[in-house]
Amino acid sequence: MNLDSLRKRVRLYIDQQQYQSALFWADKIASLSHEDPQDIYWLAQCLYLTSQYHRASHALRSRKLDKLYGACQYLAARCHYAAKEFQQALDILDAEEPASKKLLDRSVKEDSGKPDSAKDWDMSPASINSSICLLRGKIYDAMDNRPLATSSYKEALKLDVYCFEAFDLLTSHHMLTAQEEKEFLDSLPLSQQCIDEEEALLHFLFENKLKKYNKPSDLVVPEMVNGLQDNLDVVVSLAERHYYNCDFKMCYKHTSMVMVKDPFHANCLPVHIGTLVELGKANELFYLSHKLVDLYPNNPVSWFAVGCYYLMVGHKNEHARRYLSKATTLERTYGPAWIAYGHSFAVESEHDQAMAAYFTAAQLMKGCHLPMLYIGLEYGLTNNSKLADQALSIAPEDPFVIHEVAVVAFQNGDWKTAERLFLDAMEMIKAIGSEVTVDKWEPLLNNLGHVCRKLKKYNQALEYHRQALVLIPQHASTYAAIGYVHSLMGDFESAIDYFHTALGLKRDDTFSVTMLGHCIEMYIGDTDAYIGTDINDKVQGNLNTPALMKMLNTSESSDLVATPRLEDNNITSLETPLSNQDKIMLETPLRLSLTLDCDMYESDVMLDTLSDTST
Amino acid sequence: MKMAALCSEFGDLVQIKKQLISAISLCKDRGLLHSTKWASELAFALDPLPKDELPPAAPFTEEDAQDLDAFTLAKAYFDLKEYDRAAYFLKGCCSQKAYFLYMYSRYLSGEKKKDDETVDSLGPLEKGQVRNEALRELRVELSKKHTAGELDGFTLYLYGVVLRKLDLLKEAVDVFVEAIHALPLHWGAWLELSNLVTNIEMLKSLSLPDCWIKDFFMAHMYTELQMIKEALQKYQNLIEAGFSKSTYIISQIAVAYHNIRDIDQALALFNELRDQDPYRIDNMDTFSNLLYVKSMKPELSYLAHNLVEIDKYRVETCCVIGNYYSLRSQHEKAALYFQRALKLNPRCLGAWTLMGHEYMEMKNTSAAIQAYRHAIEVNKRDYRAWYGLGQTYEILKMPFYCLYYYRKAHQLRPNDSRMLVALGESYEKLSQQVEAKKCYWRAYSVGDVEKMALLKLAKLHEQLNESDDAAQCYMLYIQDIFSCGEQLEHAEVSTALRYLGQYYFKNKLYDEASLCAQRCCDYNDAREEGKALLRQISQVRDQSETPSADLFAPLSNNNTPVRRVSPVNLISFTP
Repeated sequence: MNLDSLRKRVRLYIDQQQYQSALFWADKIASLSHEDPQDIYWLAQCLYLTSQYHRASHALRSRKLDKLYGACQYLAARCHYAAKEFQQALDILDAEEPASKKLLDRSVKEDSGKPDSAKDWDMSPASINSSICLLRGKIYDAMDNRPLATSSYKEALKLDVYCFEAFDLLTSHHMLTAQEEKEFLDSLPLSQQCIDEEEALLHFLFENKLKKYNKPSDLVVPEMVNGLQDNLDVVVSLAERHYYNCDFKMCYKHTSMVMVKDPFHANCLPVHIGTLVELGKANELFYLSHKLVDLYPNNPVSWFAVGCYYLMVGHKNEHARRYLSKATTLERTYGPAWIAYGHSFAVESEHDQAMAAYFTAAQLMKGCHLPMLYIGLEYGLTNNSKLADQALSIAPEDPFVIHEVAVVAFQNGDWKTAERLFLDAMEMIKAIGSEVTVDKWEPLLNNLGHVCRKLKKYNQALEYHRQALVLIPQHASTYAAIGYVHSLMGDFESAIDYFHTALGLKRDDTFSVTMLGHCIEMYIGDTDAYIGTDINDKVQGNLNTPALMKMLNTSESSDLVATPRLEDNNITSLETPLSNQDKIMLETPLRLSLTLDCDMYESDVMLDTLSDTST
Repeated sequence: MKMAALCSEFGDLVQIKKQLISAISLCKDRGLLHSTKWASELAFALDPLPKDELPPAAPFTEEDAQDLDAFTLAKAYFDLKEYDRAAYFLKGCCSQKAYFLYMYSRYLSGEKKKDDETVDSLGPLEKGQVRNEALRELRVELSKKHTAGELDGFTLYLYGVVLRKLDLLKEAVDVFVEAIHALPLHWGAWLELSNLVTNIEMLKSLSLPDCWIKDFFMAHMYTELQMIKEALQKYQNLIEAGFSKSTYIISQIAVAYHNIRDIDQALALFNELRDQDPYRIDNMDTFSNLLYVKSMKPELSYLAHNLVEIDKYRVETCCVIGNYYSLRSQHEKAALYFQRALKLNPRCLGAWTLMGHEYMEMKNTSAAIQAYRHAIEVNKRDYRAWYGLGQTYEILKMPFYCLYYYRKAHQLRPNDSRMLVALGESYEKLSQQVEAKKCYWRAYSVGDVEKMALLKLAKLHEQLNESDDAAQCYMLYIQDIFSCGEQLEHAEVSTALRYLGQYYFKNKLYDEASLCAQRCCDYNDAREEGKALLRQISQVRDQSETPSADLFAPLSNNNTPVRRVSPVNLISFTP
């Protein structure tokens, strides 16, 4: 009996997802062909597809096929992996390592002898091995053995450069640092395995997936790969670039375009959610997360979106944590949820718990510097500047990191270093665009202002604060800082103006209130009683016409000498308070700078809460 | 000389009229209602043009034609105040006109939302005010276009407005100047600029285009900067140049007179204005202020009723009614109407200040402070608001703050005695008598409207036991009061006379003392003391029938009882 047409039928049913029919016929074929290994393989395949993992595994292993054929070995392990029996899966792969080598050799040898069978398996040994490596990596991943998983993925990719899954797992789980990623990409044997055109394509696509945020960079314009500009993956990676350059508006434009074309584009969702948070579009995020939870309750992204929503609306951190932890239980390795989880504590100044969450994130995302950045930040906030410095030493090319290091230096009173670092960060940002235009960098400008003030470069400080105002106008603490600089410069009138403005924006700003009181007192002591002094002469002239005397029939001749005498008093009365105030002036900065510093940290807190979900 | 130059400048009224007509159509197209109104009013004051002289319509470009349908649709939505909708349909239009309307709709949409949020303007003092969220985005987009040099006169104006709303005043001034250069006939830009000019030096430093409209701006600026003489001169020139029929100029002159408190002139002008333009509501709040100051109840009532008939939901109407109730001492109702005015337009300066006054009357200081602060936010040059703030802080017993605010008011009106007196009082509270004395003296010498400065100065001298100075001041005071003719309610001539009587008595100048004592008897509250003093004088005279020179010698000793007496006196007189 010719089984070939039946075999074809089985493949056809598999293609049409009619697995039960496929299974039925595969079973019959296997019996009819007296358990031909290949037919058994297909039977196992059908069993796998109908989620009967143990049956599939048994079908292969009872016949020891897994020890003979790579494909069978892979499928058997795959079955155990799907059944979450990781150790067993690993045993199958491991035990047969030498055997598989043999198999490989033999299959190569057999290639010449029995070309028929090898062809029929429809798989090249490289791709089987690559699949095996990928599976091994996934198993290690599931068993929390990150380093081995990483090396397995790498191996898988080396065996088959087209194996995107391995690459995706490497990058999306942040297993490598940016530097390592780059080196690895360069070491891939692209040229050996693919044709010229495809090599360029592959390189472009993979490079697009590399880390984008540790260093702001220009947008890569897809060269010569025409037609891919509109590919959603490429658009998403473009959006991501915008996102990490803090151009949320552009990012939103791209992501919403993607979301229209493909409402639940998996890669786009995290970026889209992040953008919605950044732009404060609570309503949209609410709607999106509802839809996601309804449609994909088992995807951590859905719950991550819900958590982000609660984090954004504020005062709902409890809820946020509940949903974020749901996301992390669905997939323990889902880093963004861990970081957001940390943020939910950081907002409440629960430093220890925040740090615990960040540390988990750091373990999960070895190659990502963001958790370390936040850990450093928390150390800084808890006055642990040494540890903060250590934590921040990773990823020295990220302006956010430099900024935080500078803040730590500022806290340590090392103004010079702080200034240099702030300026470095500024250079980095300017390198992307010609100018600093993104309002996310307002704290940087303000902090530069603070540092310049500490270094007594008052005019520069004013200039920085002014630039900060252009980025984020009507910000009370900026006004307060400007007022403070003015008061240090002795320009009390302007200082008063600015403190007033600050208080108008933020009624209960204690720093502004106290400073305003001081400034007004000094200003009053500083100035003349009224404007214009030239009038005195005229007054005296007036005095000499004593019309009243006539009216009252008196002859009072005593002239009012009050005016000149007053003048004298005036000078002395002005001198003394001034010198007193000078002394006060010298003390106040010391005392008051404390409050202002606190102020600055607040703005930093703001900064990191904003850089939320950057993973 | 100057006149001649001006005349030549204004010689071509026909040209001006043409310009105005084209400006009107430009502004109308873009929904700039106030500028359209201003230009139309001015055009109306000029002689009509013959048919063939009318200026051609603005050139219609290819882009305009492309956007025509979208623009017409959006303009219709815009006119119906559906700003978001208008903006949506204008998105992607490329003509300048459409772009302006697009951005302007977005701006107005933000403003409208903000206003809707702030309806309970003086409700619970909410933290952080409501802001126009659209402003920041608009700024970023406009600034990009600005650096690229793609903005025309109208969009520059809008950019300036956005900057001003964001308190980026320095940048705003530059942009407005640029806008004016690009399009001098747009009065709105001039007006916005005028709000940003804080003093004359700044005004001089601006480089403005030489256009006939600049004269209107300068005149307006002088009025705002309290340089009334210059302003009046400018307006006079404009009238002579051919704008005599302009109601705008008449109203501005009236406002100028109001600012220098030449009430009668101002009233006359306002009455004339009402004759010419009986349904006018603009500036009527200023008119009502004048009527209020003059306590002309029937006129104010007539005005109020008249305006209610015309349109009761206008800011000015509400202010007039508020003033009316205030004059009738119904302060709650007055405050209610000012609140209504502010609901109608939260940027109405006068209403904020007046509401502050009403809250002061009701002793609600925190609300008053809030109101005054809003007034200052709208216009930093409003001296009444600064003065009001000073008063509130005086009540709150915060002398330094109060001094600061009075100073601000004084800076704006350096020759207004009321601020100087207020300054003096605050200095007195801080026991800085020297400064206080200077202020009072200055107040007197710049022309004291309330005739209080000298009295206060005298009392201060009295307190400091500087009896000579005190006497001198009282003398001047009496002279001042008598010479001004009318009787002032709060005049304390009796106090002065009483002190002088005592003073002369102590100095053994009995003739003068008795004269004073006699005059004392004219006043109810000082009659008894006057009589007592007269009796004392006659006693002393009886005792020392023989005049002796040595009585003058222990003059300094004699001064001591005065010292003891004076504080007591003072206490009994201060209410």
